Amino acid sequence: MRETPRFFPSDLSDRERRIYGALTAFFFLVLLALTWPVYTLFSGIRPLVLGMPFSLFYIVVVLVVSFLVLLGLYLWEDRRGRLDDDPPGGEG
Amino acid sequence: MADWVIILAVTLGYLLLSLLVGLVSGGRASGTTEGYVAGDRSLGFLVLYFIMGASIFSAFAFLGGPGWAYSRGAAAFYIIAYGILGLVPWYFFGPRVAELGRKFGYVTQAELFAHRFDSKAISAILALISIVAFLPYLTLQMSGAGYVFNVVTEGRIPVWAGAAIAYGVVLIYVFRSGVMGVGWTNTFQGLFMMALAWGLGLYLPHELYGGVTPMFEAIAAEFPEMLRAPGLNDAGERWTWGGYSSSILISVLGFSLWPHYFMKIYTARNVRTLKKTIVAYPTFQIFLVPILFIGFSGVLAFPGVEPADAILPTVITSIELPAFVVGLFCAGALAASMSTGDAILHAGGSILVRDFWQVLVDPEMDDRTQRRTIQVLVVALGAVAYYFAVISDVSLVYLLLLSYGFIAQLFPLILATFFWPRSTPAGALAGLLVGSAVVITWNLVPELQWQDIHPGVWGVVANAVTLVAVSLATEPMEEEHVEEFVVG
Repeated sequence: MRETPRFFPSDLSDRERRIYGALTAFFFLVLLALTWPVYTLFSGIRPLVLGMPFSLFYIVVVLVVSFLVLLGLYLWEDRRGRLDDDPPGGEG
Repeated sequence: MADWVIILAVTLGYLLLSLLVGLVSGGRASGTTEGYVAGDRSLGFLVLYFIMGASIFSAFAFLGGPGWAYSRGAAAFYIIAYGILGLVPWYFFGPRVAELGRKFGYVTQAELFAHRFDSKAISAILALISIVAFLPYLTLQMSGAGYVFNVVTEGRIPVWAGAAIAYGVVLIYVFRSGVMGVGWTNTFQGLFMMALAWGLGLYLPHELYGGVTPMFEAIAAEFPEMLRAPGLNDAGERWTWGGYSSSILISVLGFSLWPHYFMKIYTARNVRTLKKTIVAYPTFQIFLVPILFIGFSGVLAFPGVEPADAILPTVITSIELPAFVVGLFCAGALAASMSTGDAILHAGGSILVRDFWQVLVDPEMDDRTQRRTIQVLVVALGAVAYYFAVISDVSLVYLLLLSYGFIAQLFPLILATFFWPRSTPAGALAGLLVGSAVVITWNLVPELQWQDIHPGVWGVVANAVTLVAVSLATEPMEEEHVEEFVVG
Protein backbone atom coordinates (compact mmCIF):
# COMPACT_ATOMS: atom_id res chain seq x y z
CA MET A 1 0.00 0.00 0.00
CA ARG A 2 1.34 3.43 -0.97
CA GLU A 3 1.57 5.64 2.08
CA THR A 4 2.13 8.99 0.43
CA PRO A 5 -0.34 11.01 -1.62
CA ARG A 6 0.08 11.00 -5.38
CA PHE A 7 -1.28 13.84 -7.46
CA PHE A 8 -0.39 12.83 -11.00
CA PRO A 9 -1.35 9.76 -12.99
CA SER A 10 1.76 7.74 -13.81
CA ASP A 11 1.25 8.09 -17.57
CA LEU A 12 1.93 11.84 -17.58
CA SER A 13 5.21 13.02 -19.07
CA ASP A 14 7.58 15.22 -17.05
CA ARG A 15 6.59 18.18 -19.14
CA GLU A 16 2.90 17.57 -18.50
CA ARG A 17 3.60 17.28 -14.79
CA ARG A 18 5.39 20.61 -14.82
CA ILE A 19 2.48 22.24 -16.64
CA TYR A 20 -0.16 20.86 -14.26
CA GLY A 21 2.05 21.79 -11.31
CA ALA A 22 2.38 25.35 -12.61
CA LEU A 23 -1.38 25.54 -13.05
CA THR A 24 -2.02 24.46 -9.49
CA ALA A 25 0.39 27.17 -8.34
CA PHE A 26 -1.39 29.66 -10.56
CA PHE A 27 -4.79 28.97 -9.00
CA PHE A 28 -3.30 29.31 -5.52
CA LEU A 29 -1.96 32.69 -6.62
CA VAL A 30 -5.44 33.65 -7.82
CA LEU A 31 -6.79 32.82 -4.36
CA LEU A 32 -4.07 34.97 -2.79
CA ALA A 33 -4.78 37.77 -5.26
CA LEU A 34 -8.41 37.84 -4.16
CA THR A 35 -7.80 37.82 -0.42
CA TRP A 36 -5.54 39.22 2.28
CA PRO A 37 -2.76 40.26 1.88
CA VAL A 38 -2.48 40.81 -1.89
CA TYR A 39 -5.95 42.26 -2.38
CA THR A 40 -5.23 44.94 0.27
CA LEU A 41 -2.85 46.54 -2.24
CA PHE A 42 -5.64 46.96 -4.78
CA SER A 43 -8.55 47.68 -2.50
CA GLY A 44 -8.77 51.44 -3.07
CA ILE A 45 -11.36 53.42 -4.99
CA ARG A 46 -9.24 55.30 -7.53
CA PRO A 47 -8.69 55.36 -10.37
CA LEU A 48 -12.22 54.54 -11.49
CA VAL A 49 -11.96 52.25 -14.52
CA LEU A 50 -14.91 51.70 -16.87
CA GLY A 51 -16.95 53.51 -14.24
CA MET A 52 -16.06 50.98 -11.55
CA PRO A 53 -14.08 51.62 -8.38
CA PHE A 54 -10.61 50.13 -8.70
CA SER A 55 -11.40 47.52 -6.02
CA LEU A 56 -14.12 46.09 -8.28
CA PHE A 57 -12.29 46.54 -11.57
CA TYR A 58 -9.36 44.57 -10.14
CA ILE A 59 -11.62 41.61 -9.36
CA VAL A 60 -13.02 41.70 -12.89
CA VAL A 61 -9.43 41.64 -14.23
CA VAL A 62 -8.59 38.59 -12.08
CA LEU A 63 -11.77 36.93 -13.34
CA VAL A 64 -10.81 37.52 -16.96
CA VAL A 65 -7.19 36.37 -16.49
CA SER A 66 -8.31 33.22 -14.66
CA PHE A 67 -10.83 32.52 -17.42
CA LEU A 68 -8.17 32.90 -20.13
CA VAL A 69 -5.74 30.57 -18.35
CA LEU A 70 -8.41 27.89 -17.96
CA LEU A 71 -9.41 28.36 -21.60
CA GLY A 72 -5.75 27.97 -22.58
CA LEU A 73 -5.55 24.73 -20.60
CA TYR A 74 -8.68 23.43 -22.31
CA LEU A 75 -7.35 24.23 -25.78
CA TRP A 76 -3.96 22.70 -24.95
CA GLU A 77 -5.60 19.48 -23.74
CA ASP A 78 -7.82 19.49 -26.79
CA ARG A 79 -4.83 19.76 -29.14
CA ARG A 80 -3.19 16.82 -27.41
CA GLY A 81 -6.35 14.77 -27.80
CA ARG A 82 -6.74 14.59 -24.03
CA LEU A 83 -10.42 15.49 -24.07
CA ASP A 84 -11.56 12.49 -26.03
CA ASP A 85 -9.67 9.63 -24.46
CA ASP A 86 -9.20 8.79 -20.78
CA PRO A 87 -9.23 11.88 -18.58
CA PRO A 88 -5.78 12.93 -17.37
CA GLY A 89 -7.22 13.25 -13.84
CA GLY A 90 -4.83 14.34 -11.17
CA GLU A 91 -4.78 17.54 -9.19
CA GLY A 92 -3.02 19.30 -12.02
CA MET B 1 -55.95 48.11 -17.23
CA ALA B 2 -54.37 48.55 -13.79
CA ASP B 3 -50.61 48.22 -13.67
CA TRP B 4 -50.62 45.31 -11.28
CA VAL B 5 -52.84 43.32 -13.64
CA ILE B 6 -50.32 43.70 -16.47
CA ILE B 7 -47.47 42.81 -14.10
CA LEU B 8 -49.31 39.76 -12.88
CA ALA B 9 -50.18 38.70 -16.43
CA VAL B 10 -46.52 38.88 -17.52
CA THR B 11 -45.45 36.93 -14.43
CA LEU B 12 -48.07 34.24 -14.94
CA GLY B 13 -47.15 34.04 -18.62
CA TYR B 14 -43.58 33.33 -17.59
CA LEU B 15 -44.73 30.63 -15.14
CA LEU B 16 -46.78 28.97 -17.84
CA LEU B 17 -43.82 28.92 -20.22
CA SER B 18 -41.59 27.42 -17.51
CA LEU B 19 -44.15 24.73 -16.93
CA LEU B 20 -44.37 23.89 -20.63
CA VAL B 21 -40.60 23.74 -21.05
CA GLY B 22 -40.32 21.61 -17.92
CA LEU B 23 -42.99 19.13 -18.96
CA VAL B 24 -41.94 18.71 -22.58
CA SER B 25 -38.30 18.04 -21.65
CA GLY B 26 -39.17 15.02 -19.53
CA GLY B 27 -39.69 12.93 -22.64
CA ARG B 28 -35.98 13.23 -23.42
CA ALA B 29 -34.83 10.84 -20.70
CA SER B 30 -35.59 7.19 -20.01
CA GLY B 31 -38.04 6.17 -17.29
CA THR B 32 -35.32 4.69 -15.08
CA THR B 33 -33.86 6.16 -11.90
CA GLU B 34 -30.67 6.90 -13.83
CA GLY B 35 -32.77 8.82 -16.34
CA TYR B 36 -34.67 10.68 -13.64
CA VAL B 37 -31.65 11.63 -11.51
CA ALA B 38 -28.73 11.76 -13.94
CA GLY B 39 -30.49 12.31 -17.29
CA ASP B 40 -29.02 9.04 -18.63
CA ARG B 41 -25.60 10.80 -18.44
CA SER B 42 -26.41 12.46 -21.74
CA LEU B 43 -26.59 16.22 -21.10
CA GLY B 44 -24.84 18.44 -23.59
CA PHE B 45 -22.88 21.65 -23.09
CA LEU B 46 -25.73 24.15 -23.41
CA VAL B 47 -27.98 22.64 -20.77
CA LEU B 48 -25.15 21.90 -18.35
CA TYR B 49 -23.85 25.45 -18.77
CA PHE B 50 -27.20 26.92 -17.82
CA ILE B 51 -27.73 24.52 -14.93
CA MET B 52 -24.47 25.73 -13.42
CA GLY B 53 -25.18 29.31 -14.38
CA ALA B 54 -28.51 29.17 -12.61
CA SER B 55 -26.58 28.17 -9.52
CA ILE B 56 -25.26 31.74 -9.43
CA PHE B 57 -28.62 33.29 -9.99
CA SER B 58 -30.38 32.04 -6.94
CA ALA B 59 -32.69 34.27 -4.97
CA PHE B 60 -29.55 35.04 -2.97
CA ALA B 61 -27.76 36.62 -5.91
CA PHE B 62 -30.80 38.37 -7.28
CA LEU B 63 -32.06 39.85 -4.01
CA GLY B 64 -29.14 39.24 -1.63
CA GLY B 65 -26.42 40.47 -4.04
CA PRO B 66 -27.94 43.93 -4.52
CA GLY B 67 -28.83 43.88 -0.80
CA TRP B 68 -25.18 43.36 0.13
CA ALA B 69 -23.95 46.02 -2.29
CA TYR B 70 -26.57 48.41 -0.94
CA SER B 71 -25.86 47.90 2.76
CA ARG B 72 -22.27 46.61 2.87
CA GLY B 73 -20.67 48.03 -0.27
CA ALA B 74 -17.43 46.34 -1.36
CA ALA B 75 -18.14 43.37 0.92
CA ALA B 76 -20.42 42.20 -1.90
CA PHE B 77 -17.37 41.75 -4.16
CA TYR B 78 -16.69 38.52 -2.32
CA ILE B 79 -19.62 36.96 -4.17
CA ILE B 80 -17.83 37.53 -7.48
CA ALA B 81 -14.41 36.66 -6.04
CA TYR B 82 -15.23 33.17 -4.79
CA GLY B 83 -17.04 32.31 -8.01
CA ILE B 84 -13.80 32.84 -9.95
CA LEU B 85 -12.33 29.74 -8.34
CA GLY B 86 -15.54 28.03 -7.25
CA LEU B 87 -15.78 25.55 -10.09
CA VAL B 88 -12.06 25.14 -10.85
CA PRO B 89 -11.66 22.03 -8.63
CA TRP B 90 -14.13 20.29 -10.97
CA TYR B 91 -11.69 20.64 -13.82
CA PHE B 92 -9.33 18.36 -11.96
CA PHE B 93 -11.55 15.86 -10.16
CA GLY B 94 -14.72 16.14 -12.27
CA PRO B 95 -13.70 13.78 -15.10
CA ARG B 96 -12.69 11.16 -12.56
CA VAL B 97 -16.02 11.46 -10.72
CA ALA B 98 -17.88 11.13 -14.02
CA GLU B 99 -15.83 8.10 -15.04
CA LEU B 100 -16.42 6.29 -11.75
CA GLY B 101 -20.10 7.24 -11.89
CA ARG B 102 -20.42 5.62 -15.28
CA LYS B 103 -18.51 2.55 -14.16
CA PHE B 104 -20.33 1.93 -10.88
CA GLY B 105 -23.69 3.57 -11.63
CA TYR B 106 -23.57 6.39 -9.07
CA VAL B 107 -26.14 9.15 -9.29
CA THR B 108 -25.53 10.88 -5.96
CA GLN B 109 -22.47 12.32 -4.28
CA ALA B 110 -22.50 10.09 -1.19
CA GLU B 111 -22.52 6.93 -3.33
CA LEU B 112 -19.00 7.73 -4.49
CA PHE B 113 -17.62 8.39 -0.99
CA ALA B 114 -19.49 5.50 0.62
CA HIS B 115 -18.16 3.10 -2.00
CA ARG B 116 -14.57 4.37 -1.80
CA PHE B 117 -14.56 4.02 1.99
CA ASP B 118 -16.90 1.04 2.06
CA SER B 119 -19.01 2.68 4.76
CA LYS B 120 -22.75 2.95 5.20
CA ALA B 121 -22.22 5.43 8.02
CA ILE B 122 -20.53 7.88 5.63
CA SER B 123 -23.46 7.61 3.26
CA ALA B 124 -26.00 8.29 6.02
CA ILE B 125 -24.02 11.19 7.51
CA LEU B 126 -23.54 12.83 4.12
CA ALA B 127 -27.26 12.48 3.44
CA LEU B 128 -28.03 14.19 6.74
CA ILE B 129 -25.51 16.99 6.16
CA SER B 130 -26.98 17.56 2.68
CA ILE B 131 -30.54 17.83 3.91
CA VAL B 132 -29.60 20.11 6.82
CA ALA B 133 -27.71 22.35 4.39
CA PHE B 134 -30.49 22.26 1.76
CA LEU B 135 -33.47 23.08 3.92
CA PRO B 136 -32.66 26.70 4.81
CA TYR B 137 -31.66 27.40 1.20
CA LEU B 138 -34.88 25.99 -0.16
CA THR B 139 -36.91 27.88 2.41
CA LEU B 140 -35.18 31.12 1.45
CA GLN B 141 -35.91 30.58 -2.25
CA MET B 142 -39.57 29.90 -1.52
CA SER B 143 -40.21 32.88 0.69
CA GLY B 144 -38.34 34.99 -1.89
CA ALA B 145 -40.81 33.86 -4.56
CA GLY B 146 -43.78 34.61 -2.31
CA TYR B 147 -42.38 38.02 -1.49
CA VAL B 148 -42.02 38.97 -5.16
CA PHE B 149 -45.68 38.15 -5.85
CA ASN B 150 -46.75 40.08 -2.78
CA VAL B 151 -44.83 43.28 -3.62
CA VAL B 152 -45.84 43.56 -7.26
CA THR B 153 -49.52 42.93 -6.73
CA GLU B 154 -49.43 45.58 -4.01
CA GLY B 155 -50.36 43.01 -1.40
CA ARG B 156 -53.24 41.45 -3.29
CA ILE B 157 -51.52 38.07 -3.44
CA PRO B 158 -50.29 37.09 0.04
CA VAL B 159 -46.83 35.59 0.47
CA TRP B 160 -48.19 32.12 1.19
CA ALA B 161 -50.16 32.05 -2.05
CA GLY B 162 -47.28 33.45 -4.12
CA ALA B 163 -44.89 30.81 -2.79
CA ALA B 164 -47.51 28.13 -3.39
CA ILE B 165 -48.10 29.18 -7.00
CA ALA B 166 -44.41 29.39 -7.97
CA TYR B 167 -43.44 26.18 -6.22
CA GLY B 168 -46.55 24.38 -7.40
CA VAL B 169 -45.17 24.87 -10.91
CA VAL B 170 -41.69 23.72 -9.83
CA LEU B 171 -43.06 20.59 -8.17
CA ILE B 172 -45.04 19.62 -11.24
CA TYR B 173 -42.08 19.71 -13.61
CA VAL B 174 -39.58 18.23 -11.17
CA PHE B 175 -42.03 15.47 -10.28
CA ARG B 176 -42.66 14.58 -13.88
CA SER B 177 -39.43 15.32 -15.68
CA GLY B 178 -36.68 15.00 -13.08
CA VAL B 179 -33.30 16.42 -13.98
CA MET B 180 -34.38 17.06 -17.56
CA GLY B 181 -37.08 19.42 -16.32
CA VAL B 182 -34.55 21.16 -14.10
CA GLY B 183 -32.03 21.48 -16.93
CA TRP B 184 -34.26 22.80 -19.67
CA THR B 185 -36.20 25.24 -17.48
CA ASN B 186 -32.85 26.53 -16.18
CA THR B 187 -31.77 27.17 -19.75
CA PHE B 188 -34.89 29.17 -20.42
CA GLN B 189 -34.71 30.96 -17.05
CA GLY B 190 -30.98 31.62 -17.42
CA LEU B 191 -31.30 33.40 -20.76
CA PHE B 192 -34.05 35.47 -19.27
CA MET B 193 -32.01 36.51 -16.23
CA MET B 194 -28.91 37.40 -18.29
CA ALA B 195 -30.90 39.87 -20.35
CA LEU B 196 -32.52 41.31 -17.26
CA ALA B 197 -29.31 41.69 -15.25
CA TRP B 198 -27.56 43.78 -17.91
CA GLY B 199 -30.72 45.69 -18.77
CA LEU B 200 -31.47 46.79 -15.24
CA GLY B 201 -27.85 47.05 -14.10
CA LEU B 202 -27.04 49.63 -16.74
CA TYR B 203 -30.43 51.31 -16.89
CA LEU B 204 -30.81 52.11 -13.19
CA PRO B 205 -27.48 53.97 -12.71
CA HIS B 206 -28.21 55.84 -15.90
CA GLU B 207 -31.72 56.80 -14.83
CA LEU B 208 -30.79 57.79 -11.27
CA TYR B 209 -27.31 59.30 -11.70
CA GLY B 210 -26.69 59.75 -15.41
CA GLY B 211 -24.35 56.75 -15.73
CA VAL B 212 -22.16 54.26 -13.89
CA THR B 213 -19.19 56.62 -13.43
CA PRO B 214 -21.25 59.48 -11.94
CA MET B 215 -22.93 56.96 -9.63
CA PHE B 216 -19.65 55.67 -8.19
CA GLU B 217 -18.20 59.23 -8.07
CA ALA B 218 -21.18 60.29 -5.98
CA ILE B 219 -20.87 57.29 -3.62
CA ALA B 220 -17.09 57.84 -3.36
CA ALA B 221 -17.68 61.45 -2.31
CA GLU B 222 -20.35 60.59 0.24
CA PHE B 223 -19.40 57.14 1.63
CA PRO B 224 -15.83 56.30 0.54
CA GLU B 225 -15.62 53.47 3.10
CA MET B 226 -18.27 51.60 1.15
CA LEU B 227 -16.21 51.26 -2.00
CA ARG B 228 -12.92 50.45 -0.31
CA ALA B 229 -12.55 46.68 0.09
CA PRO B 230 -13.43 44.80 2.21
CA GLY B 231 -16.44 47.08 2.72
CA LEU B 232 -18.69 47.00 5.77
CA ASN B 233 -19.97 44.28 8.08
CA ASP B 234 -23.65 43.78 8.82
CA ALA B 235 -23.50 46.35 11.62
CA GLY B 236 -22.33 48.97 9.13
CA GLU B 237 -18.78 49.12 10.53
CA ARG B 238 -15.65 48.34 8.57
CA TRP B 239 -15.44 44.58 7.82
CA THR B 240 -12.20 42.79 8.74
CA TRP B 241 -9.83 41.30 6.19
CA GLY B 242 -10.01 38.06 8.15
CA GLY B 243 -13.78 37.88 7.74
CA TYR B 244 -13.67 38.81 4.06
CA SER B 245 -10.80 36.49 3.10
CA SER B 246 -12.01 33.47 5.05
CA SER B 247 -15.51 33.84 3.59
CA ILE B 248 -13.96 33.56 0.15
CA LEU B 249 -11.78 30.63 1.16
CA ILE B 250 -14.60 28.60 2.69
CA SER B 251 -16.88 29.32 -0.28
CA VAL B 252 -14.20 28.24 -2.74
CA LEU B 253 -13.69 24.99 -0.84
CA GLY B 254 -17.40 24.33 -0.49
CA PHE B 255 -18.89 25.56 -3.76
CA SER B 256 -17.91 22.68 -6.03
CA LEU B 257 -19.01 20.15 -3.41
CA TRP B 258 -22.61 21.22 -2.91
CA PRO B 259 -24.42 17.92 -3.47
CA HIS B 260 -26.95 19.29 -5.96
CA TYR B 261 -24.16 20.69 -8.17
CA PHE B 262 -21.82 17.76 -7.64
CA MET B 263 -24.51 15.36 -8.88
CA LYS B 264 -24.61 17.25 -12.16
CA ILE B 265 -21.13 15.89 -12.95
CA TYR B 266 -22.83 12.55 -13.57
CA THR B 267 -25.23 14.11 -16.07
CA ALA B 268 -22.46 15.24 -18.45
CA ARG B 269 -22.33 13.43 -21.78
CA ASN B 270 -18.52 13.23 -21.76
CA VAL B 271 -15.30 14.79 -20.45
CA ARG B 272 -15.29 17.43 -23.16
CA THR B 273 -18.77 18.66 -22.20
CA LEU B 274 -17.86 18.79 -18.54
CA LYS B 275 -14.62 20.71 -19.06
CA LYS B 276 -16.19 23.09 -21.53
CA THR B 277 -18.85 23.94 -18.95
CA ILE B 278 -16.22 24.69 -16.32
CA VAL B 279 -14.21 26.87 -18.68
CA ALA B 280 -17.32 28.82 -19.72
CA TYR B 281 -18.58 29.29 -16.18
CA PRO B 282 -16.97 32.74 -15.57
CA THR B 283 -18.98 34.12 -18.50
CA PHE B 284 -21.98 33.67 -16.22
CA GLN B 285 -20.10 35.02 -13.22
CA ILE B 286 -19.53 38.35 -14.97
CA PHE B 287 -23.29 38.93 -14.84
CA LEU B 288 -23.00 39.58 -11.14
CA VAL B 289 -21.30 42.90 -11.92
CA PRO B 290 -24.47 44.62 -13.20
CA ILE B 291 -26.45 42.90 -10.43
CA LEU B 292 -24.25 44.70 -7.91
CA PHE B 293 -24.70 47.99 -9.80
CA ILE B 294 -28.41 47.66 -9.07
CA GLY B 295 -27.70 47.59 -5.34
CA PHE B 296 -25.21 50.48 -5.51
CA SER B 297 -27.77 52.55 -7.39
CA GLY B 298 -29.94 52.55 -4.29
CA VAL B 299 -27.26 53.78 -1.85
CA LEU B 300 -27.82 57.52 -2.34
CA ALA B 301 -31.19 57.49 -4.09
CA PHE B 302 -33.08 55.34 -1.58
CA PRO B 303 -31.41 55.48 1.84
CA GLY B 304 -32.76 53.51 4.79
CA VAL B 305 -34.47 50.58 3.04
CA GLU B 306 -35.06 47.71 5.48
CA PRO B 307 -34.41 44.85 5.00
CA ALA B 308 -31.56 45.60 2.59
CA ASP B 309 -32.60 42.61 0.45
CA ALA B 310 -35.71 44.53 -0.54
CA ILE B 311 -33.66 47.19 -2.33
CA LEU B 312 -34.21 45.76 -5.83
CA PRO B 313 -38.02 45.54 -5.65
CA THR B 314 -38.05 48.93 -3.92
CA VAL B 315 -36.07 50.63 -6.67
CA ILE B 316 -38.11 48.92 -9.36
CA THR B 317 -41.43 49.98 -7.95
CA SER B 318 -40.27 53.51 -7.00
CA ILE B 319 -39.20 54.75 -10.42
CA GLU B 320 -41.51 55.17 -13.35
CA LEU B 321 -41.11 51.95 -15.28
CA PRO B 322 -43.64 50.54 -17.73
CA ALA B 323 -45.74 47.82 -16.06
CA PHE B 324 -44.54 45.35 -18.67
CA VAL B 325 -40.90 45.83 -17.60
CA VAL B 326 -41.78 45.43 -13.93
CA GLY B 327 -43.55 42.22 -14.89
CA LEU B 328 -40.38 41.00 -16.58
CA PHE B 329 -38.41 41.80 -13.46
CA CYS B 330 -40.83 39.76 -11.33
CA ALA B 331 -40.55 36.87 -13.70
CA GLY B 332 -36.74 37.19 -13.51
CA ALA B 333 -36.75 37.14 -9.72
CA LEU B 334 -39.03 34.11 -9.77
CA ALA B 335 -36.74 32.46 -12.30
CA ALA B 336 -33.80 33.04 -9.95
CA SER B 337 -35.65 31.49 -7.05
CA MET B 338 -37.13 28.59 -8.99
CA SER B 339 -34.01 27.61 -10.90
CA THR B 340 -32.19 27.07 -7.61
CA GLY B 341 -35.13 25.60 -5.73
CA ASP B 342 -35.87 22.98 -8.38
CA ALA B 343 -32.31 21.63 -8.34
CA ILE B 344 -32.31 21.40 -4.54
CA LEU B 345 -35.70 19.66 -4.40
CA HIS B 346 -34.66 17.17 -7.02
CA ALA B 347 -31.30 16.46 -5.39
CA GLY B 348 -32.83 16.26 -1.90
CA GLY B 349 -35.36 13.61 -2.90
CA SER B 350 -32.72 11.58 -4.70
CA ILE B 351 -30.29 11.76 -1.77
CA LEU B 352 -32.88 10.71 0.81
CA VAL B 353 -33.76 7.62 -1.19
CA ARG B 354 -30.38 6.54 -2.54
CA ASP B 355 -28.09 7.50 0.33
CA PHE B 356 -30.30 7.06 3.34
CA TRP B 357 -33.32 4.85 2.85
CA GLN B 358 -31.76 2.41 0.43
CA VAL B 359 -28.52 2.11 2.38
CA LEU B 360 -29.95 1.75 5.86
CA VAL B 361 -33.42 0.30 5.39
CA ASP B 362 -34.17 -1.35 2.07
CA PRO B 363 -31.19 -2.29 -0.11
CA GLU B 364 -33.41 -4.45 -2.36
CA MET B 365 -35.55 -1.58 -3.59
CA ASP B 366 -36.19 -1.99 -7.34
CA ASP B 367 -35.67 0.76 -9.87
CA ARG B 368 -39.33 1.56 -10.35
CA THR B 369 -40.00 1.89 -6.64
CA GLN B 370 -36.91 4.07 -6.29
CA ARG B 371 -38.08 6.50 -8.88
CA ARG B 372 -41.55 6.61 -7.32
CA THR B 373 -40.16 7.16 -3.83
CA ILE B 374 -37.89 9.96 -5.02
CA GLN B 375 -40.89 11.67 -6.57
CA VAL B 376 -42.90 11.36 -3.35
CA LEU B 377 -40.00 12.72 -1.30
CA VAL B 378 -39.55 15.67 -3.66
CA VAL B 379 -43.12 16.67 -2.81
CA ALA B 380 -42.60 15.98 0.91
CA LEU B 381 -39.42 18.05 1.02
CA GLY B 382 -41.24 20.87 -0.77
CA ALA B 383 -43.96 20.71 1.88
CA VAL B 384 -41.48 20.90 4.76
CA ALA B 385 -39.70 23.89 3.22
CA TYR B 386 -43.06 25.51 2.55
CA TYR B 387 -43.94 25.09 6.21
CA PHE B 388 -40.78 26.90 7.30
CA ALA B 389 -41.11 29.52 4.57
CA VAL B 390 -44.64 30.74 5.27
CA ILE B 391 -46.16 29.05 8.31
CA SER B 392 -43.54 28.55 11.00
CA ASP B 393 -41.98 31.46 12.89
CA VAL B 394 -38.72 29.59 13.36
CA SER B 395 -35.97 31.40 11.52
CA LEU B 396 -33.59 29.23 9.55
CA VAL B 397 -31.05 31.98 9.02
CA TYR B 398 -28.91 30.38 11.68
CA LEU B 399 -28.79 27.12 9.72
CA LEU B 400 -27.88 29.07 6.62
CA LEU B 401 -24.74 30.31 8.35
CA LEU B 402 -23.84 26.76 9.24
CA SER B 403 -24.51 25.21 5.86
CA TYR B 404 -21.41 26.44 3.99
CA GLY B 405 -19.28 25.44 6.96
CA PHE B 406 -20.73 21.93 6.77
CA ILE B 407 -20.39 21.52 3.02
CA ALA B 408 -16.75 22.62 3.11
CA GLN B 409 -16.08 19.59 5.33
CA LEU B 410 -16.30 17.47 2.19
CA PHE B 411 -13.11 19.03 0.83
CA PRO B 412 -10.60 16.98 2.85
CA LEU B 413 -12.75 13.96 2.06
CA ILE B 414 -12.52 14.37 -1.68
CA LEU B 415 -8.76 14.92 -1.54
CA ALA B 416 -8.40 11.73 0.49
CA THR B 417 -10.70 9.87 -1.90
CA PHE B 418 -8.62 10.55 -4.99
CA PHE B 419 -5.10 11.34 -3.84
CA TRP B 420 -4.32 9.52 -0.63
CA PRO B 421 -4.58 5.71 -0.83
CA ARG B 422 -3.68 5.30 2.83
CA SER B 423 -6.84 7.10 4.04
CA THR B 424 -9.23 4.75 5.83
CA PRO B 425 -12.99 4.61 6.57
CA ALA B 426 -12.40 5.41 10.25
CA GLY B 427 -10.25 8.39 9.29
CA ALA B 428 -12.78 9.75 6.81
CA LEU B 429 -15.65 9.33 9.24
CA ALA B 430 -13.78 10.82 12.20
CA GLY B 431 -12.68 13.78 10.06
CA LEU B 432 -16.27 14.53 9.00
CA LEU B 433 -17.60 14.27 12.55
CA VAL B 434 -14.84 16.33 14.18
CA GLY B 435 -14.99 18.97 11.41
CA SER B 436 -18.76 19.35 11.73
CA ALA B 437 -18.56 19.46 15.53
CA VAL B 438 -15.96 22.24 15.36
CA VAL B 439 -18.18 24.24 12.98
CA ILE B 440 -21.14 23.93 15.34
CA THR B 441 -19.07 24.76 18.44
CA TRP B 442 -17.45 27.83 16.88
CA ASN B 443 -20.90 29.08 15.88
CA LEU B 444 -22.36 28.53 19.33
CA VAL B 445 -19.47 30.08 21.27
CA PRO B 446 -18.66 33.51 19.84
CA GLU B 447 -15.70 33.88 22.27
CA LEU B 448 -13.80 31.34 20.17
CA GLN B 449 -13.83 33.74 17.21
CA TRP B 450 -10.48 35.15 16.14
CA GLN B 451 -10.10 37.89 13.54
CA ASP B 452 -13.59 37.13 12.26
CA ILE B 453 -12.32 33.93 10.62
CA HIS B 454 -15.18 31.78 9.29
CA PRO B 455 -15.87 28.79 11.62
CA GLY B 456 -15.75 26.51 8.59
CA VAL B 457 -12.00 27.16 8.25
CA TRP B 458 -11.29 25.77 11.73
CA GLY B 459 -13.59 22.87 10.90
CA VAL B 460 -11.64 22.02 7.73
CA VAL B 461 -8.31 22.20 9.57
CA ALA B 462 -9.54 19.97 12.42
CA ASN B 463 -11.13 17.65 9.87
CA ALA B 464 -7.92 17.25 7.84
CA VAL B 465 -5.73 16.67 10.91
CA THR B 466 -8.16 14.10 12.29
CA LEU B 467 -8.51 12.35 8.93
CA VAL B 468 -4.74 11.92 8.63
CA ALA B 469 -4.13 10.93 12.25
CA VAL B 470 -6.94 8.39 12.50
CA SER B 471 -6.14 6.92 9.06
CA LEU B 472 -2.53 6.32 10.05
CA ALA B 473 -3.65 4.73 13.31
CA THR B 474 -6.03 2.29 11.61
CA GLU B 475 -5.59 -0.64 9.22
CA PRO B 476 -5.16 0.38 5.57
CA MET B 477 -7.93 -0.61 3.16
CA GLU B 478 -7.51 -3.38 0.62
CA GLU B 479 -5.13 -2.11 -2.05
CA GLU B 480 -7.05 -3.51 -5.00
CA HIS B 481 -10.23 -1.70 -3.96
CA VAL B 482 -8.50 1.62 -3.29
CA GLU B 483 -6.64 1.59 -6.62
CA GLU B 484 -10.01 1.75 -8.41
CA PHE B 485 -10.40 5.28 -7.07
CA VAL B 486 -7.08 6.97 -6.46
CA VAL B 487 -5.01 8.64 -9.12
CA GLY B 488 -2.41 6.17 -10.21
